Amino acid sequence: MHHENVVVVGAGLAGMKASLLLAQAGKKVHLVETLPLIGGKTIKNEESFPNLECSTCLVAPIQQAVLQNPDIEVMTMSAVEKVEGDDGDYTVTVKKSARYVKVADCIGCGMCYEPCPVSVSNEWEENLGERKAIYVPCPGSLPNVPTVDPEHCLKLSGKGECTACVEACMFGAVNLEDRDETVKIEAGAMIVSTGAGVFDVSKLPDLGYGEYPGVYTPFEFERLFASNGPTLGELKLRGTENAPGKIAIIHCVGRKECGYCSGVCCMYSFKFAHFLKKKLPEASVYNLHSDICVPDKTYQKFFDGVNGTHSEMIYNSSMESLKVTGSGDGLQVTYLDEAGAEKNLEVDMVILAAAMVPEEGTRNLAEVLGIDLDAAGFFKVRDDDIASVETSRKGIFVAGTAEGPKDSQSSVIQADAAVGKVLAFLESLKPQPEEAAAGGQG
Amino acid sequence: MQEASMKAKIGVYVCECGPNIGQSIDIPRVLESIPALDGYEDVELVPKSYGLLCSPDGKEYLKKEIQENGYTHLVIAACSPRDHDSTFMGICKQAGLNPYLYKIINIREHCGWIIHDKDAATEKAIQYISGGISRVLYQSELFERQLEITPDVLVIGGGVAGIETALSLAGEDRKVYLVERAEELGGSAARFASLLPRQQGGADLIKSKIEAVGENEHIRVLLNTEVESSIGFLGNFEVVLAGKSEGEKTDIKVGAIVVATGCRMSDPRSFAGIEYADSDEVYTSPEVEKMNTGGTITLRSGEKPASVALVHCVGRGEKGYCSRVCCNYMMKIAGYFKKQSKETKVTEFFVDMCVPHKADQKFFDESARLGIDFKRVRKIGLSGTRVEFKGMDGKKQHMDFDMVVLASALEPSEGTEALAGLLEIDLDDRGFYREAHHTTDPVATSIDGIFVAGASQGPRDISDSILLAQASAGRIRAQLIPGGKIVPEVKVSEILEAYCTGCKTCLEVCGYGAIYFDDQKGISVVNEAVCRGCGNCFGSCPSGALRTKHFTNSQLLREVTEALK
Amino acid sequence: MSEGQQKAEFTPKIVGFLCNWCTYAAADLAGSTKLEISPSLTVIRVMCSSRVDHNLVLTTFFRGADGILIAGCHPGDCHYGKGNYYARRRYAVLKRVMEGLGLEPERLQLSWVSASEGNRYADVVNAFSEKIKALGPNPISGRADF
Repeated sequence: MHHENVVVVGAGLAGMKASLLLAQAGKKVHLVETLPLIGGKTIKNEESFPNLECSTCLVAPIQQAVLQNPDIEVMTMSAVEKVEGDDGDYTVTVKKSARYVKVADCIGCGMCYEPCPVSVSNEWEENLGERKAIYVPCPGSLPNVPTVDPEHCLKLSGKGECTACVEACMFGAVNLEDRDETVKIEAGAMIVSTGAGVFDVSKLPDLGYGEYPGVYTPFEFERLFASNGPTLGELKLRGTENAPGKIAIIHCVGRKECGYCSGVCCMYSFKFAHFLKKKLPEASVYNLHSDICVPDKTYQKFFDGVNGTHSEMIYNSSMESLKVTGSGDGLQVTYLDEAGAEKNLEVDMVILAAAMVPEEGTRNLAEVLGIDLDAAGFFKVRDDDIASVETSRKGIFVAGTAEGPKDSQSSVIQADAAVGKVLAFLESLKPQPEEAAAGGQG
Repeated sequence: MQEASMKAKIGVYVCECGPNIGQSIDIPRVLESIPALDGYEDVELVPKSYGLLCSPDGKEYLKKEIQENGYTHLVIAACSPRDHDSTFMGICKQAGLNPYLYKIINIREHCGWIIHDKDAATEKAIQYISGGISRVLYQSELFERQLEITPDVLVIGGGVAGIETALSLAGEDRKVYLVERAEELGGSAARFASLLPRQQGGADLIKSKIEAVGENEHIRVLLNTEVESSIGFLGNFEVVLAGKSEGEKTDIKVGAIVVATGCRMSDPRSFAGIEYADSDEVYTSPEVEKMNTGGTITLRSGEKPASVALVHCVGRGEKGYCSRVCCNYMMKIAGYFKKQSKETKVTEFFVDMCVPHKADQKFFDESARLGIDFKRVRKIGLSGTRVEFKGMDGKKQHMDFDMVVLASALEPSEGTEALAGLLEIDLDDRGFYREAHHTTDPVATSIDGIFVAGASQGPRDISDSILLAQASAGRIRAQLIPGGKIVPEVKVSEILEAYCTGCKTCLEVCGYGAIYFDDQKGISVVNEAVCRGCGNCFGSCPSGALRTKHFTNSQLLREVTEALK
Repeated sequence: MSEGQQKAEFTPKIVGFLCNWCTYAAADLAGSTKLEISPSLTVIRVMCSSRVDHNLVLTTFFRGADGILIAGCHPGDCHYGKGNYYARRRYAVLKRVMEGLGLEPERLQLSWVSASEGNRYADVVNAFSEKIKALGPNPISGRADF
C-alpha cells in the first residue's frame, strides 16, 4: 500500500536521520540522492563543532545503518523529476542516472582506478585534487562503489575506445553500456532535505577569490585540512609546498547580500582557528568579525576557548570596505576598525566564511515538487503555523538547511519533527473505523 | 560460554573477495592448513572457498551450505565485520543457525591489503582464521527478545513545548498525561502579547493551543501536580504523580517521558556590575511584557519614559553562554516603546547582535528604522538607571535614562536539577538537560525513553521550542508504536549473583543507567532492555561477577592464544 | 646467541584491542588505502576500549604477548559517551601493575585513533612494532600458569 512508502530527497544528515527513524516506524523509505555517495556536507569536515568530534566517526555509523537497512532503498545518482497526485497519493518519478558500475557486483577493491588514463579535477574535493574518470569522490565514500563520469570518460564521450576499467575489474562490475533509468514510486509523503550551498564569493571581487590562490572558500579549507582530503591534511598553500604563517578568517561574507546571518559561520570560523593552531602551532590566526553569533548553549564556551589563545579577534566595522589584495608574495587585508580607521593586516592565507545559500537546483526542485520558496530561495514553510516543517503542499515536508541556514543539531531536530508529521499524516490517511464500518471511503 | 562438549561441525568459508585477496593470499594453502590446525580433534572443520559471498548468489550458496551441512558454527574469512556482519547474521538466521554462533574474520583490510608479502599475508590469514575458529567454539546462542510496550506518554511541563508535544502525540491509541505544577497551562509564552514575527499568530495561537488541549479527550491534564517518582525504561515506565493536597497520588504507566520544564530569567542582580534598588526604574523584559500586555509601559509614576535603555547580554559572560533570544525580543520591545510614543528615545546596548534565523535580519532592519540608537559595547554595567559601559574604543562611558530594561541570561527553571535527579537523566555543565548527543541525538537524554522538548534543553525561542517538541513527538511516534514491540540489544552484560559484592562500581560507570541495585539481595543487576553492550561495566568489576554475553574474555583470549602461537 | 642477535631476529607478537567505532574503522580505512602495516600486530575487535579489563591485559602478557595496544576514540568522541575515559584510567593502573611484575610499562600502549585517521593508524602500529622489537621478547612470558 503506497501509504507506507515515503520518499526522502537528499541523503545528508537530516535525510539519513529521517530515513532511519521512518524505517524504525515500519515505513518503506526511498532515499533519493543526486551524488554518488551519501552523507551530505557533514562528511566534508574533518571535525564538527562544538565538540570537534571526528565527523567520520559521527556520520559513518549513520551511513552504514542507512545502507544496511532493508527498509531503506538508497538511490544514489538519482533525482526527482516529477511529482504527481496529491494529498498522500503521490506518484514520484525518479531518474536514476547511469553509474556504469553494478552496485551488487562491486566489492570496492579500487582496481579500476589505476588503469584509467583520464585525470580531471575532483569537484567534491573543491577542485583541490584530481580524480580519474572512474572514481569515488573521496577515500571512505559510502557506498564504496565508483562511478564513471560520462563527460570525461574516453569511451562514453566518444573520444576513444578505452575499456581499461572494464578489463581491470575481476567481477565484470563495470558496465559502460549502463543507461539512465526512470522509476515511479507510489508514496504517501515526502521529506525534502537537500541541504544548502555556500555563497559564491566570486561575486565579491574585492575579496580576491580566484585572483589570489591564497584565498579560500570554507569547504576548500575543510578539504585542505581533512586527513582523507587531497593533501592528506597537509596545510600547503595552493600551488606551493609552503604552510601559511599568518591566516585571516573573514566572517560575514555575503551576509549583507543575502540579507540574513547564517548562524554557523562564526562557529566554523573558530573551528578553523582550532584546526590551524593544531597543525601549525607557530602560525598567527586572525578572525575578522562583526557580530559574534554563538546562539547554542555550548557555543560561547567554544568561542572563549579560541579567543586570544588560538586567534586574535579583530572587530571589522564594515564588510563593504574590506578588501583583500596582493602584497608581495602574500596578501593584505584592508579593513576599517571600530573607529572607522583603516587598518592593514599582512597574511599568507585568507579564508572567507561565506553565507549559507540555497543549494543549486533548489528552484528547479521546488517547481518539480510544486512547493513554494521563500524570499531567500529556501523552501518555504507554512505561514499560518509556528515552527512548521510543512511546505505549501500537503504531505511534503522539509528538514535541514534546505529550509534555511542552521547548524547540524537544528537539522536533526527538524528531521525528527518532519518524521513525526509524516507519521501523523500517513495515519490520518488510513480509513477511520466508523468509515470502514459504514462501507469505506467514497 | 562453555567449551564445545558435543561434536562441533564448523563451516569455514574463505571468500575470494576479488583479485586482491586472491592475489595477496594463497587461498588454496589456507584451505589446506585448516584441517591440519592443532587442537580440534573433536571438531569437524569444513573449509571451502567461494568467489563472492556477499553477492546474491553467494548468499544463496551460504544459506544452502548451512542447511545441507548442518553446521553447528560458521566462520567466514572475508572483509570487515563493519561491511557485512549483519548480512551474514541474516543468512544464519534464515538458514536456522543461531547468528551468534558465527564469526567473520577480516583477512582483507587487516591482512591481505596491508601485508604486501604474500607468504607473510597467508601466514597471518591462517593465524586469524585459527583464532576465529577457536573463538567461535566459545560463543553461545543468544536470542532476541521482544518487549511489550505502553504507547502512552507523560509530558512534564505545560508550557508551549509541553502543549505542542501533547497535541502532536495524543490520539485514539495513545494517551498523553500533561503534568503542570502551576495552576494553569501556558508557561512563559502565555504572558506575551505578541510573539516575534517569525512566529505569526501571536499570543492567540498559544491560547488556541491551550483550548485544543482542553478539547482533546486523549490528553489528561493534571495541574498543580509534580512527578514524585519514576522507574523504568523505554516502553515501560512506572510513574507516581503527586498533587498539591496530601496523599493525592496518581500512578501511571507510560512508554515515554518528555521533559518540557522550560527556563526562566536569572536575577540580573546576581551578576557582577549590575546594581539597582527595587525602587529604581529598572525592569526585566518579562516585567515589561506584562506591562505591555496590560496596556502601557510606564514608570512607577504612571508616566511614559522619555528615554529607555535596553540592555542586552546581562550575565552572558558569567553564565558562559549566549541566551539566543534576547536580541530578537529586545527589538520587539523597542517596537513596543516606539509604538506607544514615537518620541521615546530608545538606546540599545549590546555586545553582539545575534540574529541567526533567516527572517531575523529583516526584523532587525525594520525595527532599526523605528529610530533606535544602537550602541555596540565591549562591556556593560548598571548602577540604578545609569548604564556604565566600555565602548568599542575601550573607553569607559556612562549614560543616564528614565527607564532601563534588562535582558538577563536564561537559565533552567527552578526544580530542573531535582527533576533530573529523580529521572536519573544528566544535566550539562550549565544545568540544562544534557542531550544524548549534541549533534546527532539532540532530543533524547541519557536515558532511553526520556526525551526533552523546549527551552529546558537550552535557551530557545517559542518557535524552536515547538520544533523541539515536534521532534520529541516524532521520535516517540516512530519508536513506540501502539501494539508494537521493542527489540533490545542482544549482546548485553549480565551479573552473576554469586560473585557480586554489591560494590556498585558498575552502576556508577554505566553511561546508560542500565544497572540497578537490588536492595534486598544487595547486588547489582543489569537491565537487559537498556544495556548497550559496551562492556565498560565489565572493565570495572573487581570481583569477576560481571560477564558480557558476547565478546567474553574466554572468547577474546582464544583469539589471543592463536595470535601468540 | 648474543642478546643483540636475539633481538635482531626477534619478531614481536603484538595484540591490538581496537574499538569498533573508531580505531577498527581507521584500520579498515588503512587497509582499503593499501598502506603497509606490520604483521606483528593481531587485531582483536571490542565494542569499546572500556571493555578491556585488567584481567584480559595481564593474561595476554602472561601468555606471551610482547606488546599490547589498546586503541579507541579520541576523548569526547566515544560512541558510548565516556568509555574511553575509563579505559584511560584502567591503563594508568595497569602501567603500575606491570612495573610490579617486572614488565616494562612501555609494552602497553593506549592510543586514540579516529575513524578517518587511516594513515595515523598505520603510523601508530608500525611505530609500536618497532618499539617492541627494540625492547625484545616479553620477560615474563609463561611465568604464571594462566
